Amino acid sequence: MNNAVIASYVRSPFTPATKGNLRGIRADEITAQMLRALVAKSGIDATELEALYLGCAFPEGEQGMNLARLIVFLADLPHSVAGVTVNQFCGSSMQAIHMAAGAIRMEAGEAYLCAGVESMSRVPMMGFNPLPHPGLAESYPQAYVDMGETAEILGEREDISRAAQELFAAASQQKAAAAWKAGHLNDEIVPIEGPTGVISADGCLRPETTPEVLSGLKPAFRKQGRVTAGTSSPLTDGAAAVLVCSEDYANRKGLKPLARILATAVAGCEPEIMGIGPVWATHKALKRAGLELADIDIWELNEAFASQALACINTLGMDESRVNLDGGAIALGHPLGATGARITGKVAALLQREGKRYGVATQCIGGGQGIATVLERY
Amino acid sequence: MAIRKVGVIGAGVMGAGIAAHISNAGIPVVLLDRAGEKGGPSLAQQAIGKLLKSKPAAFMSRHNARLITAGVLEQDLEVLADADWIIEAVSEDLALKHSIYRQIAQVRKRGAMVSSNTSTIPLTALVKGLPRSFQCNFLITHFFNPPRYMRLLEVVSGEKTSTHGLKKVLQFADQALGKGVVHCNDTPGFIANRIGGFWLQCALLEAIDLGLTIEEADAVCGRPMGIPKTGVFGLMDLIGLDLMPRILSSLCSLLPASDALQEISDIPALLTGLIEGGYTGRKGKGGFYRLKISEKGRHKEVLDLQSGEYRCPEKPRLESLVAAKSSLQALLEHPDRGGLYASRVLLRTLAYTTSLATEIANDIATIDQAVRLGYNWRYGPFELIDQLGAKWLVGRLEGEGIAVPPALADAARSAGFYREEAGVREHLNAKGHYQESARADGIYTLSDAKLGAKAVAANAGAKLWDIGDGVLCLEFCSKMNSLDPDILGMLMQTVADLPKSHQALVIHNEGTNFSVGANLGLLLFASNIAAWSEVEGLVKAGQDAYTALKYAPFPVVGAPAGMALGGGCELLLHCDAIQAHSETYMGLVETGVGLVPAWGGCKELLGRMSRNPRRPRGPIPPVQGAFELIAEARVSTSAAEAQEGGFLGPRDRVSMNPERLLADAKALALSLAPKYKPPEPFVFQLPGPSGRAALELAIKSFHRRGLATDHDVRVAGKLAWVLSGGDQEGPCTETQLLALERAAFVELARHPDTITRVEYMLENGKPLRN
Repeated sequence: MNNAVIASYVRSPFTPATKGNLRGIRADEITAQMLRALVAKSGIDATELEALYLGCAFPEGEQGMNLARLIVFLADLPHSVAGVTVNQFCGSSMQAIHMAAGAIRMEAGEAYLCAGVESMSRVPMMGFNPLPHPGLAESYPQAYVDMGETAEILGEREDISRAAQELFAAASQQKAAAAWKAGHLNDEIVPIEGPTGVISADGCLRPETTPEVLSGLKPAFRKQGRVTAGTSSPLTDGAAAVLVCSEDYANRKGLKPLARILATAVAGCEPEIMGIGPVWATHKALKRAGLELADIDIWELNEAFASQALACINTLGMDESRVNLDGGAIALGHPLGATGARITGKVAALLQREGKRYGVATQCIGGGQGIATVLERY
Repeated sequence: MAIRKVGVIGAGVMGAGIAAHISNAGIPVVLLDRAGEKGGPSLAQQAIGKLLKSKPAAFMSRHNARLITAGVLEQDLEVLADADWIIEAVSEDLALKHSIYRQIAQVRKRGAMVSSNTSTIPLTALVKGLPRSFQCNFLITHFFNPPRYMRLLEVVSGEKTSTHGLKKVLQFADQALGKGVVHCNDTPGFIANRIGGFWLQCALLEAIDLGLTIEEADAVCGRPMGIPKTGVFGLMDLIGLDLMPRILSSLCSLLPASDALQEISDIPALLTGLIEGGYTGRKGKGGFYRLKISEKGRHKEVLDLQSGEYRCPEKPRLESLVAAKSSLQALLEHPDRGGLYASRVLLRTLAYTTSLATEIANDIATIDQAVRLGYNWRYGPFELIDQLGAKWLVGRLEGEGIAVPPALADAARSAGFYREEAGVREHLNAKGHYQESARADGIYTLSDAKLGAKAVAANAGAKLWDIGDGVLCLEFCSKMNSLDPDILGMLMQTVADLPKSHQALVIHNEGTNFSVGANLGLLLFASNIAAWSEVEGLVKAGQDAYTALKYAPFPVVGAPAGMALGGGCELLLHCDAIQAHSETYMGLVETGVGLVPAWGGCKELLGRMSRNPRRPRGPIPPVQGAFELIAEARVSTSAAEAQEGGFLGPRDRVSMNPERLLADAKALALSLAPKYKPPEPFVFQLPGPSGRAALELAIKSFHRRGLATDHDVRVAGKLAWVLSGGDQEGPCTETQLLALERAAFVELARHPDTITRVEYMLENGKPLRN
């Protein structure tokens, strides 16, 4: 059987939408610069790539057309490399990895670039022309539920206090700040050249934040709510990518894989509690990998909202000390289409750094879904 | 050579405010001051930061801040090299000013004008010892605070000042900055502060002497005299209590011992105490008034002049104030303390002003203008004297033992200080003759057009004036310029009759506000008797009149200043073009009273949004743009913001000077007149229920966040229904959209929560969020 491996991982800096340094740079440009760096870093012969699978949650405007194909041109990849744009909202680029892993297993190609991008500055969430089905909006309004509201519903249902969310968010900030300070993020970041200079640092972090500071913020989604901007992931610009190839190919070409993809899964749940999606996806993926929860040493659980992340941690009974070692999306940012590639690549990189065996990357997806990937250190 | 770049030296309140206002004219400015402490931001950089936060806003658009470049005087002097006008606005220190002039002289280009914003130092002292070439390009330009809002610019030029250079600055100040330029003689305090300072000081001392409360003093020295309701104490809080004694002592040091101001120049202990305690007015801990913030919210407190303690304000109950409603004279003749106070303050101020008539300016019209624009008086001192009667005033002064100035005696012998002769306003000159008041070229107001003229047509709500060259001007004359059936009738009549004799129409008036909207009283009356067909008829009548105006066979230009809200805004949106005063506040605010715009406002705003090439394509962006502006009842805080928001479009223009607004509007109308063709009706492409579903998602989110009440949700839902095209998707004609507006309006008008909102608005003048 042909195993798929994560052979390399990079990302652009993540900066806050409309305010950060990437706001003036198109999504395709950010991705192309990053992919050039990934090809160079991994040492792959680009003519041997089957395709670029690119996740993007709002593929319209500058992110429109077939963004993946256009980025192939922009990144100077050979014409022979196909471009496929994948949309599964926040799960888009993890789904791109799953598609590549599946194709490799069935011997439909040996090497794929799996990337994701979102410029939330330049293409708004919901897109430029939201046009919900009026009948569905009436009969099943959850289908279009506001993400912040799902965080409130889940927080209420799982009884996650505001204070607990704030502790979690502050911890995320501290972990991310410590990771930057220790130089842990240097390897994964590809500096991006923009019209005003080179951008090489993350811009969303608030290392000075404390639970006390967070407790002073106003609720963001409900008048009497518990979720604030401080306990939510910020709107972010950024891109991330991994090189996925077959174990055979990697060995043949002398690439240095980080991790083997053991199993993948997607799962659906009620849209109004979409944040719990990782629980069902993780259960499925672990079962497919033949592993137990306790076997997992490294977790990357996307922090769309602190309430949602805590609901997953509590429900799954995760050991919190193994979750998001370098901080999560609350601190680093959450460029929708890019996050899946970031957290999967991050698990692979952390397995190497920490010398651990098994890791899981999982995240929730708007509309009520979860997605998970189980990795084993190579 | 026009002014294309300006330098301002001194980034204090005045210098920064002047720089901001120059940026409002779209002109780049360099603002120079000292370096910051310990490598921090320079003083000019700090000032720009403060300007962005200032209230009322110094910038007409926040983007204007980008036009200001901050610099450090010692390092960046060369940035002044290409400035066409350099304004010095540093503290009133002659040595400092001289050192700055010497620095400027090194770098300024040939012919670049230099002016000082001094409020006290005479020009002769400023230019003493400076080279002739510098003196030729030097003048005083005294701005008033805040420079964006106070229109007065006092100008003093010297014998050597070049006529050409002076003209260049004055033209720029008038047309680009919108200033009312007033030529002053080189005397201490120039015009406005000389008179204003006397008036304020006199009012302060007399209030203490006569035992008036602050509320009483401000009520007497405010509205009855055509003075803003801040009166004297409220104004002193605005100016800054600490500034008052400084202005006074600097004036007194320059004035002769015989000047009447010297007799009243003592600073009361009360004021000194306040200043020492940090109570310097609005910029400090408070002043004569203060805002007390407690658990119950913010409320105003007032100082008790006797005890020196703050207390809750009380509504003044003086018989003289009741009498004042009939006439100013009645107030001045009333025997109670209010009447006594009014006459002591005003009679002395008027006598003082008249005694200065020939000393401080060339003519009395200039003095009136300076006081009107510098202190926001509705009438200048000489205009007030004419209202009272010069003879009456002479009698009163004689009775009080106050010397009668010769100019006043002249006026008493003649027909007053002003007269109207053959459609021209004339003033009494120093020789006792009437002469036409000089004004800058191109200034032409509706008042000018009305002098000696008869309206072409008139009814209770509107008048039609001939403003020459085949152009008519429609003026609202209803209460607060609210739109009513009389105005709609006049519009219909004008559309029918104008082409017989004229070629274009301007809609304009000289009210504080262009129009605050439709007459809600009529709507409430009809609602209370459940005359729903009448309500619909009222809506239909407005739609018909505005549609007729839009498709009239002649160009129509709206020329608003101040607020243009609701129906007033809708009217403008139907014009071929808008010539707006820079201080125009436009908004469709109907949701505030639980309604949707239904005189074609939804339709026209949607049309503007649809035609805006900068908006992303697709069916939603125009609908969403219009929805946000209307649902949130957003009102632009300037014409520039109205342009950014989409109320003003590519054909619309802005005038900085309100006295040029009518002439600019007329010129715009005339430019459209040759081969004029009415617009083609617009067919909208609307998303229908899918678009409504999208907007409703946003409404629900607002509701959850506590930003929208239940009734807000209902009103916004109807608005979403109208703007998305009702129950159909695809093409939608203007007529269909008007029918949607009407249906939504009538449905909402019947809702009890809407009726409560309308009642509340009529009673309180502000919206109720029920």
